[in-house]
Amino acid sequence: MTSSKPILQITHLSKSFGGIKALDDVQLTLHRGEVLALMGENGAGKSTLMKILMGLEKADAGEILFEGEPLKNRDVKDTLKKGISMIHQELLVVPELSVADNIFLGRETTRWLPGWINNEDIYQKTETLLGTLGVAIDPRMKMKYLSVAEMQMVEIAKAISNNARIIIMDEPTSALSDKEVASLFRMIKDLKTQGVAIIYISHKMEEIAQIADTITVLRDGQYIATKPAAELDRNALITLMVGRQIDLLFPVAIGKQEEVLLSVRHLTQPGKFSDVSFDLHAGEVLGLAGLMGAGRTEVARAIFGLDPLAGGEVFVKGLPVTIRSPQDAIRYGIGYVSEDRKALGCIPGMSVQHTLTLASLKHYAQWGFIEARSEEGAAELMVSELRIKTASLQQGVMQLIGGNQQKVVIGKVLLARPDIIILDEPTRGIDIGAKHEIYKLIRQLTERGIAVLMISSELPEITGLCDRVLVLSQGRQTALLDRSEATQEKIMAHAVHQQR
Amino acid sequence: MKQTLTTLYRQTGSSYRKRVQGMGTFGILLAFVVICLALALSTPRFMTVSNLTIIVTQVSINALLAFGVTFVIITGGIDLSLGSMVAVTGVVAALFAHPDTYPLIVPLMMALGAGFLMGGFNGLVITRSKVPPFIVTLGTMTIGRGLALILSKGRPVSNLSDTFNFIGGGQVFGVPFPIIILIVVFVLCSLLLRKTIWGRYMYAVGGNEQAARASGIPIAKIKMLVYILSGLLAALAGIVLTSRITTGQPNAGQGFELDAIAAAIIGGTSTSGGSGTMTGTLIGALLIGVISNGLDLLNVTSYYQQVVMGVIIIGAVVLDGLNRKK
Amino acid sequence: MNRLTALTLTFLTTLTLVSCNQNTDSAEGDKPVIGVTMLSMQNEFIVNVSDEIDKKAQEAGVELITVDAERSALKQIEQVESFIAQGVDAIIMNPCEVEASSPAVAKAQAAGIPIINVNSETATKPSAFVGSDDVESARIAMKYIAERLGGKGNVIMIHGYMGQAAQIKREQGAREVLKNYPDLKLIASQTGEWDRAKAMSLMENWIQSYGGQINAVFAHNDEMGMGAVNALTAAGMKDKVVVVSVDAIPDALQAVQKGTLDATVYQNAQQQGSQAIETALKILNKQPYEVQVLIPFQLVTKKNVAQFVK
Repeated sequence: MTSSKPILQITHLSKSFGGIKALDDVQLTLHRGEVLALMGENGAGKSTLMKILMGLEKADAGEILFEGEPLKNRDVKDTLKKGISMIHQELLVVPELSVADNIFLGRETTRWLPGWINNEDIYQKTETLLGTLGVAIDPRMKMKYLSVAEMQMVEIAKAISNNARIIIMDEPTSALSDKEVASLFRMIKDLKTQGVAIIYISHKMEEIAQIADTITVLRDGQYIATKPAAELDRNALITLMVGRQIDLLFPVAIGKQEEVLLSVRHLTQPGKFSDVSFDLHAGEVLGLAGLMGAGRTEVARAIFGLDPLAGGEVFVKGLPVTIRSPQDAIRYGIGYVSEDRKALGCIPGMSVQHTLTLASLKHYAQWGFIEARSEEGAAELMVSELRIKTASLQQGVMQLIGGNQQKVVIGKVLLARPDIIILDEPTRGIDIGAKHEIYKLIRQLTERGIAVLMISSELPEITGLCDRVLVLSQGRQTALLDRSEATQEKIMAHAVHQQR
Repeated sequence: MKQTLTTLYRQTGSSYRKRVQGMGTFGILLAFVVICLALALSTPRFMTVSNLTIIVTQVSINALLAFGVTFVIITGGIDLSLGSMVAVTGVVAALFAHPDTYPLIVPLMMALGAGFLMGGFNGLVITRSKVPPFIVTLGTMTIGRGLALILSKGRPVSNLSDTFNFIGGGQVFGVPFPIIILIVVFVLCSLLLRKTIWGRYMYAVGGNEQAARASGIPIAKIKMLVYILSGLLAALAGIVLTSRITTGQPNAGQGFELDAIAAAIIGGTSTSGGSGTMTGTLIGALLIGVISNGLDLLNVTSYYQQVVMGVIIIGAVVLDGLNRKK
Repeated sequence: MNRLTALTLTFLTTLTLVSCNQNTDSAEGDKPVIGVTMLSMQNEFIVNVSDEIDKKAQEAGVELITVDAERSALKQIEQVESFIAQGVDAIIMNPCEVEASSPAVAKAQAAGIPIINVNSETATKPSAFVGSDDVESARIAMKYIAERLGGKGNVIMIHGYMGQAAQIKREQGAREVLKNYPDLKLIASQTGEWDRAKAMSLMENWIQSYGGQINAVFAHNDEMGMGAVNALTAAGMKDKVVVVSVDAIPDALQAVQKGTLDATVYQNAQQQGSQAIETALKILNKQPYEVQVLIPFQLVTKKNVAQFVK
């Protein structure tokens, strides 16, 4: 770490929204060439802090020193000019424009006529820029043809071209594969040597341990601590973030029962997966592990009837069934919580109550007429049982924050009273406290004899929660491991297993 | 801190709820009231019982169509064949409504049957072929017009029985029969949309079809249902129209679909699907009717009428949009 | 794959249709061929004219190609262009618009094909015109109103589509007559777009605003006249208001017989149709012909209605 003057020093920063303190006397210090991980649960104040830094919000009190000078009264454009850039979680790109156009958007060089873009010049500059970053992307390629990881590289290149000295990265790896994460980290290390400081926001403990030099923790809008990353282990970090010890992040498994609820044989979907067979017992959590693109979600979608199967058989409680649509699946007692809760779980404009009861509406209706009290009762039950934090049942489901929205989607599936539940990345993008609640919920379900098939990209989640683990690699199943033998290393080894 | 955060959510939550439930039709209602007041001030003949009765009678046909298309638009579709369905069903009804031929029930059932078939055809093609509803119903619009001409041999079908003509021209306790039909259908459609699972499913299909499917909602059946409802309501409108003008006109109803869609959209139905209410649509239809009636009363020439109508339609929607933003 | 199938199907269908057409063409031999383009086959009067053309053509052994311009002048021009390309011997056109259909006349004449306008006029003079003077029809109607009211009273006029030849001329005729009767006042006028339902709504609204002041209604066509009659009957005012319209469609004739519609003006569709084909044949046979064949209008009232009802 450099001992020089910090590039960014934030002190006594406070911000209130309508009497509620979002930030209360927060501090942060950042040096050249440092990667600082900013951590905290959702609602801890990270995004408010970053918004103030970018000039999107104004602080009520406190001081921000950028290279020793106070930073005041600016807008985003000004911030960018001064050398502070942010890579947002949802990438802000123009898909129909080329890579170069995206990088120089708003700063195009012109020639001949005002407004006449000098394409050669910006292509040239982009090529040089990407070259120094060690990224092989054609500047003329349209943005929409790039992978998410490549788009992120382009965003970083854009930040560099802005002479950024501080780059804020908000959950940059949420949509990346492991390989892509590795190359992102390589790039971050390069940036460090060039003296660029990085504020890295993430929920993923493993990444933080790998990449961060320093960790600053916020909780409920207050500054908690700043420590060198090397001094904090996982449990210490969680304790700082949550404010209490979560001794058992993963509740104890009760263990599976003998009855087989779901059994699939030789499931095949050309180009996606082939010959997948497994049994799912009552009361067990079966993990479905593998890299991105291994076919995990595709298997789940096919079982649930969202996509057609080309071959294979499905048995529910020993009886052969044909599932052509989610309707069939629900009738056979299968529930599915999608990885993409916005696209497949929620309906914009619908209230919490209407979302919760959507899949089970028939239970509360007579002759097609919904009995208001019966519907409301069911929704109330779910809200209290899943501890969904919502203002009222009429609250719009899109207005809920991540963890609560996920609980609503799970609640919707549960109200249809399934015996078999498929959870696809159930804890993606939600904070550690909510994760813990969802783990507990999963165990409560299995105690009732429900069978759970869980897809997750987070290996600790798989090893911590699952009774057995099925590993997929390139659409084929490579291992079925028992809890005792399922270590992260072993799962990884099977996940990258190459097949001839 | 935790406690206060929860309180914060509660506050934003309740204001959201007000917005959703109260403001949805507020802007349009405001526009409606303002325009009614303006007309009442400009001419004493506007605010009379007989004039208001006439407005509602005139509005009834467009409102029936608008109710149908509201279902369709809520599911994210569109129905451009309304006007043609009015013509076909009107001609069919007229063909069976000559005096001393069939009892009244026959022309009614035949017309409703024709509407059912045409709506069902729309629904079937849309759900089976995945061709966009805009294109399918554009096709049916032309097919329907042709059918109406074929069935009527290009000539108006006149000489209808008095019992049939009662539907559009008769009165019960001084209330014109079309108004009674309008009220009954409005109540039924509102109940269907707000109180039944099918109504809820319509919102779900239009709000996010993928999520609706994943929730086990029978998408195809719901779509079939809305197009059939649209066809049945068009048939009802065709019956009322035919009875009102006492002939089955093969060229009747041209452009009716646009008025109906306008009523639904003015009434706050989102063109992208997933939202809308029957009350909003009814106010939208009434607004169009009031404007047209008022401008006639003021003897505004037809050239200006069209301009005024367009301006008011845009104004109403803008006003509604501004209100939502607040 | 699917698109290819669809494309092939479309192609085959077109091919079949085209070859069918050619078959009939060649089979008919060297009968004279006349292309007919009509304003709109959704209009009863036009259908009557067209039917008469058909009938007379069959009697004379002429082959007809009849198409519907669906009220679009552009479409009509394209149809005439295709007639020219097919090499028809003569063209009968029922123009959609005064100005916009004129290029069709010019094109036919440039190709040396005689073109006869039927029912309404174009700005460019055709080889011959067969029809009636719309101004005259309105004059007849309005004069009847003036006589019934004793030259004194309030009149309402329901226009056709604004800007169309028939609307312009009927308005012109009506106003000419009104000028001669200073005590006959036009208190309101509005377009009913030739449509019965529209005219009915219009009339209902007028009843609200003028009530008992209305003494007579002149509608530019019978459809709208019938709409006005419906509205007046419903309001119980029909006995006090004279309603006159133009065209003498069967519905209107029935109404005149019943006494609900006071009068209509008979425009002779049969005459227009048969004269059009006769004029065309005269031109083809190089016989002398009249450049303007005007078929007179007749006022139809309860007294003489019997002779018009089929």
